[in-house]
Amino acid sequence: MPTEKKRIQKDIVIIGAGMAGLTAALYAGRMNLSVLVLENALVGGQIANATGIENYPGLPNVAGKDLIATVQQQAESFGAVVDEFDMIEKVSLQEERKIVETKSCIYEAGSVIIASGMERRKLPLPEERKYAGKGVHYCELCDGHLYQDKVIAVMGGGNAAVDAANFLTKYARKLYLLHRSQLRADESSQEKLRSNAKVEILLETNVVALKGEKQLESVEVLDKATGTKKELAVDGIFVNIGVTPNTDMFKEDIELAADGRIKAGEDCRTNVPGVFAAGDVRYKEVRQLTTAAADGTTAAILAEKYLAQIRKGK
Amino acid sequence: MNMVKVYSINNCPWCDKVKKYLKSRQVEYVECNIENDEAALAECQALTGDEAVPVITADGKEYVLGFDKGKIDALLGL
Repeated sequence: MPTEKKRIQKDIVIIGAGMAGLTAALYAGRMNLSVLVLENALVGGQIANATGIENYPGLPNVAGKDLIATVQQQAESFGAVVDEFDMIEKVSLQEERKIVETKSCIYEAGSVIIASGMERRKLPLPEERKYAGKGVHYCELCDGHLYQDKVIAVMGGGNAAVDAANFLTKYARKLYLLHRSQLRADESSQEKLRSNAKVEILLETNVVALKGEKQLESVEVLDKATGTKKELAVDGIFVNIGVTPNTDMFKEDIELAADGRIKAGEDCRTNVPGVFAAGDVRYKEVRQLTTAAADGTTAAILAEKYLAQIRKGK
Repeated sequence: MNMVKVYSINNCPWCDKVKKYLKSRQVEYVECNIENDEAALAECQALTGDEAVPVITADGKEYVLGFDKGKIDALLGL
């Protein structure tokens, strides 16, 4: 017979331990609230893999994991608890006491801050599942070493893709950068890539098929300008074609925008009282580390006010 | 139980997560970095047929690839 899960009371449960979630934890902890941060994947979220962050004020060049470790330590020093090992299974957010159920516990909280961020968009080809981990990858830091002296393709044209391509040149014998339109990455990153003799950039190019017996052996690409297809022999492809919000778990409770992000204004309030959205998961135009930290701050302060009002009303 | 081994590489957030988890459960382990140690690389390949990491094993036969708390708990009897 399964054992009954322990019920634990918290003032605030924060879902997601990226910059927004940990900043919210830091602020809420400093306000003497009992705070739990739950993370289903990696502490740090999208910046966990970032090698050199140059646009966070006060820190000229910092690795993502070092920056986030510092913020986590700050949050924990004010009493916040970060649990990155238990997995959230479901949430129920519409009642006054919010429920966040993990594999091992049921947490009841007066307020929930959703800072669940984004995850990499999967390669939209039916063969993706066959080759996932066998030639198709999403984390260059984790899997790049598998391709020492091999031919690598990187798919995508934003900063993440070009940074990944620059990183992977240290392993690759040859590297293709494949993108369906023009590059949008910072000019300095593009220049670094273009100046590397191993690199061939194919723009206005779609990846239309993956081939190989058990392991990826080649990709078929379509030149959009000429309509011609050709096959490129590659050992691995690293996909960086954007991100998708981690909001599936909340769609029954919270109003979402058409792109799946959570509808909430600059005050981070969602349509459900006591539930706030912070960071990239919130529908907004500018999504940067600094704006994630700002959202975390706003959400924590307004969550504290919300909890105070609830207590006052009783 | 034999000493737990964690096969890893230098920059690997999921390897770090596995190590943090084992520490949090007071499981002693030996880290085998397959980027720095050719013997460790050969062992990892012999075990999994691959170079993907993190890999966790206790007996050198059964293993878990990646961070999967349920599978790690089952493998190590946690």
